[in-house]
Amino acid sequence: MTNLLAMAHRIIRQILRDKRTLALLIIAPLVILTLVWYIFGAKTPEPKLAVINYSSSDYLSAFKKSDYLRMSRLEAVQALADQKIDAYVDLKDPVHVHLEGSNPQRNGIAMTKLQKSMTKVQKISINKLKNNLTGVIHQQQKAIAAQKQAMQKMTETLRTYAPGILTSLPQQQASGNSNAPKAPQKVELNVSYLHGNDNLNTFDAFGPAMVGIFVFLFIFMIGGVSFLRERTTGTLDRLMASPIKNYQIIWGYMIGFGLFVIVQSLILTCYLVYVLHIYNVGNLIDVLIIVFILSFSALSLSILLSTAAKNELQMFQFIPLVIVPQVFLSGLFPIDTLPRWVQLIGNLMPIHYSTEALRNIMIRGTGFSGWGFDGAVLLGFSLVFIVINILVLRASRPLAV
Amino acid sequence: MTYPVKGEHLYKKFKKQVVLDDVSITLNEGEIYGLIGPSGSGKTTLVRILLGLEKADRGEVQLFEQKPTLNAFRSLGYMAQSDALYTELSAYQNLDFFASIQGLRGKEKKARIRAITKSVGLENDLKKSIDHYSGGMKRRLSLAAALVHEPRLYLLDEPTVGLDPLIRKEIWLLFRYLRSKGATIIVTTHVMDEVTQCDRVGLLSEGHLIAQGAPKDLMEEYGVSSIEDVFLAKEETRK
Repeated sequence: MTNLLAMAHRIIRQILRDKRTLALLIIAPLVILTLVWYIFGAKTPEPKLAVINYSSSDYLSAFKKSDYLRMSRLEAVQALADQKIDAYVDLKDPVHVHLEGSNPQRNGIAMTKLQKSMTKVQKISINKLKNNLTGVIHQQQKAIAAQKQAMQKMTETLRTYAPGILTSLPQQQASGNSNAPKAPQKVELNVSYLHGNDNLNTFDAFGPAMVGIFVFLFIFMIGGVSFLRERTTGTLDRLMASPIKNYQIIWGYMIGFGLFVIVQSLILTCYLVYVLHIYNVGNLIDVLIIVFILSFSALSLSILLSTAAKNELQMFQFIPLVIVPQVFLSGLFPIDTLPRWVQLIGNLMPIHYSTEALRNIMIRGTGFSGWGFDGAVLLGFSLVFIVINILVLRASRPLAV
Repeated sequence: MTYPVKGEHLYKKFKKQVVLDDVSITLNEGEIYGLIGPSGSGKTTLVRILLGLEKADRGEVQLFEQKPTLNAFRSLGYMAQSDALYTELSAYQNLDFFASIQGLRGKEKKARIRAITKSVGLENDLKKSIDHYSGGMKRRLSLAAALVHEPRLYLLDEPTVGLDPLIRKEIWLLFRYLRSKGATIIVTTHVMDEVTQCDRVGLLSEGHLIAQGAPKDLMEEYGVSSIEDVFLAKEETRK
């Protein structure tokens, strides 16, 4: 136990004296998250759109002057080629949209805007149809009224000439206006959210994944390199030639780094919630627990991989292998539609579970039931890595166990 | 007579290269044993096998007359060719850590650190970060880290390399002092004037222990005036 604490104490001292590492561990994630916040939290830009062939169109009122430039066909084609506008709408052929098309994101925002206008276009065309219909109805009503008058005349003539027939006829009630069409009820979309609200922006959704990625990345780099140095400088040999036990070395690392991880995750989480105001309805303690468990798995994995590296460069070569796939499969992007084997790989990635858990906590506000499973899987990862680490260390001390 | 460390018929191969070929070595308690030989002759591998940091393909190692155990490591001081120090820490913090994992505590630990830094001449530089140490200072601190817990057996891989003659002399004085207190020391070295200060030397060449004995006896036996010449004479007879 005392050996374990001596080990942890040494690591804490090492990090405290190495200001660069300390900064990388604590300040760097904050800086990067702030940048990401600006990028994803920013208002979506307004698309630049134009209409052409509008003068004879009934739909022009759907394309407000403030949103759509009025252009001639030639101007619009030129502007589109010069990327001055994202799309133009040709109103001649009822409605035809020409997109610039090179940037999917701008296509998207242009189409969203266009769709709003299109609902107006549809309203206009429905109104037109309604007007036509009411015209027809009016004509028919007139025809019916004329028929009624003719009937009245007929009954009057019948009454004078053959009153017997009239009594055998069923009494007809004047139906009046009861058949006239009712004004259609206005249908409006009422949206309610089970989780979150309409202010939830991209950063709020990405945030949980981002926290996982940055915590994992920085702990992975620092932890891996620091254990690697133990091998390359020969201090590990010194440890191996001392009575310290293998598990004491590995757990010493876990505890020493664990202290900084607690501080790091506390600062990071508070910064996200209280400074960047990321959407969070969950318990802050739950968030901290997940971040903490995640960094444990990052640390134990990095120590394990450091045994396969001969120097720092080789350690960093693991980043594209270990970190980048996790970024893409972490839940930043939907993976439901990917092939099964890719999803299976995703299931082996710690960040995948931390993202799921953090989303449940921060956005859905679930308690332990929402993150218990993911937390357990992350703990499982860490324990497996730690056990393998202890076994691998045994190879460094083959004679005495 | 007890044997602090004993290796019998050690054979070690790295990939296809034979590094040690049937080497047997037994240290007597309270002697300084010099392991000499050109670089690549297998000195470091032999030391690492005796320590238990590497396993011989064949042969057996005994530490304090039993199979190596973690507890036996408590009585063992090891200094590798690399300085093996934590460069982020100060000299004191380094020694503090190595003393702690060797089981030293509290006042005893502090006293030992003070004593050992005095004997390697670093008592005024303890608070400095290792980053600001010269090569020689690092070497001396590395030695201090191997000595801090007063082991009975020292395995020192080129402890004096890169040190100036004056400090080297002081360090050998320290070795002789340790020996006088009953410690056993095995030293690998290149420097021939150090060889004569050993009680016994072993000559390693291409994985074979070609000669062993007190330096004086060896020189007499081969009728030469230095250990270097013993090497040359041995090499000639082999050819």
